[in-house]
Amino acid sequence: MTPKVERLVNLTVALLEARVPLTLAELKRRTGYYASGDPASARRMFERDKDELRRLGVPVETRPVPHSDEQGYLVPRGRYELPDVDLTGEEVAALALAVRLTGTQGTPLALAKLAARAPDPADLATRPTTRVELRADPVDAVADAVVQRVPVRFTYRRADGSEATRTVDPYGVVQRRAAWYLVARDHDRDAVRAFRLDRMRDVPVAVGDVGSYDPPDDLDIADAVSGPQDPGVEVELAVQPRASWALAIRGGQDTGERTPDGRAIWTLPGLHPVRDRSFLLGLGPDVEVRAPDTLRQAVISALDAVAAGADAEVAR
Amino acid sequence: MSAPDDVARMLTLVPWMLQRPGASHAEIADAFGVDVATVRRDLEHLDFCGLPGLGGGDLFEVMTVGNRVVLRMADELARPLRPTAREAMRLVLTVDAVADLLDEELPALRSAVTKVRAALDIPESTADVVGSDGPSTRSTLRDAVRDGRCVRLAYQGRADAEPVDRDVDPWGLHVVDGSWYLQGHDHGAGDRRTFRLDRIANVEVTDAPLRVPAPDHLEPPRYVPSDDDLAVVLDVSPRGRWLEDAITLDAVEERDDGSARLELRTDAPGWLARLVLMAAGEATVLSPHSLAEEVAATARAALAWYEPDGTVG
Repeated sequence: MTPKVERLVNLTVALLEARVPLTLAELKRRTGYYASGDPASARRMFERDKDELRRLGVPVETRPVPHSDEQGYLVPRGRYELPDVDLTGEEVAALALAVRLTGTQGTPLALAKLAARAPDPADLATRPTTRVELRADPVDAVADAVVQRVPVRFTYRRADGSEATRTVDPYGVVQRRAAWYLVARDHDRDAVRAFRLDRMRDVPVAVGDVGSYDPPDDLDIADAVSGPQDPGVEVELAVQPRASWALAIRGGQDTGERTPDGRAIWTLPGLHPVRDRSFLLGLGPDVEVRAPDTLRQAVISALDAVAAGADAEVAR
Repeated sequence: MSAPDDVARMLTLVPWMLQRPGASHAEIADAFGVDVATVRRDLEHLDFCGLPGLGGGDLFEVMTVGNRVVLRMADELARPLRPTAREAMRLVLTVDAVADLLDEELPALRSAVTKVRAALDIPESTADVVGSDGPSTRSTLRDAVRDGRCVRLAYQGRADAEPVDRDVDPWGLHVVDGSWYLQGHDHGAGDRRTFRLDRIANVEVTDAPLRVPAPDHLEPPRYVPSDDDLAVVLDVSPRGRWLEDAITLDAVEERDDGSARLELRTDAPGWLARLVLMAAGEATVLSPHSLAEEVAATARAALAWYEPDGTVG
């Protein structure tokens, strides 16, 4: 019996070469396959092969056959073939190096497709100092929907832990600060929202047709993830020497002034009073928030809550 | 490797070989990231591919002379199959992330990314990686890695209360999902160590060459919990569940109200205490007792600054 890989390659060739949709009987004649056994099991074998090719991205189309009530099959060359990409040898080499530096799964084959008809990679003078790791697996779950513009539905865990069903038009995928987001129009709220892929509780399922919508022209998906630009507030801190470096790498400045007990007074610009409160809390007794007063009070109540909660546990 | 993977590769192998008559097995293996045995098996299959049913068959022709291979009569597959949506997304996101980080070292990558995005129809409005510029120490360290110079780091590890000087042979930088790491040989520890760039307070590049050279293959940095580590159980409220993204967990037990019980191990209890502090009361240490006490003591020490009768007005 013919190995399966040969059968799948040859089925692809036959369907690509077809000028008109081929019936199963015609495919049998051209390939010699699907001929043994009873017709029902030959049909099942063909259906499985067809589905497998589609998963590989081979666009097998089903069409009516003229003057017949049978279905025919073909692969339109225009949908199958990747047009030539005008890459230079240097660019091919840079892409190959980038793919090797990350080792992201599945990318070597995609690059081989792009470079199949491009020049061979040129020799690169550079020896890169930096390796990059991108865990792109979560993107698979929404890639088809984003590319084909298909509405999807999924269960989502909100920041407060509750769960809700969301139906959205996927616009794009963004990675920011080690988290992947789907930027999409939320049907219920009729607004563009960013959803963390790791908070989806199930695999999104398609609930509409391919090409159901057009993303807005002026959409900036990176902005949608970052949220509104907030200049933040300037915070004044009294700082123990050992924590000063942590403030310096965040853009803090020593004002030169000192508290009566000798601690340095620093200012830290552009802090978000809610999002960055945890950063200040994490510095523990190494900092005291002096201003603004609202943030000072917020830090005090957070520390009270931690001390109270911890005391309750310790007492148990 | 599964049959579908083999088929996808063979459909790409054909146009690649038609373009490069006389390529060697090793060259083919290199271009496709597989071993030579796989290439030989692919070629044996391709010799039986084409349209076998017509007359005596209309098959491809694989001719091997020594190590070199020529594929003919395969014009039906003269062009490669388009990448799938998943392949295209992964490739674009990968090369774009690298282009952002290695702008100076790989200038050709920027123009290549633009062409790849256009060919695959994945513009920045569809897939993007928002990179931070990374810590300012990165360019100093990059130069030290390239030039092979020993560095002195002021580094505050998770277990350190303040930065400590470390003499390090820098082997390479590693960016894992946006976080920067330096890997190298730590002379004080006498062993390989990984340093987070956002915990490096200061870098001083010395004139000394590396004493311990980089290994051929550097695994990406990854925290692997060890049996010597402290076992910890935390309770987190729904609002505290972002902690799950910040630490490596052994187990998560979720409750109906959205809260969860987290089990983990840590080699740096002081660091974990600070993390609990950051959760502002949304996380509680259930065990060990010593860690719960450390959290409470740290919170009280911080609160002392704010007491009306504290040391400071």
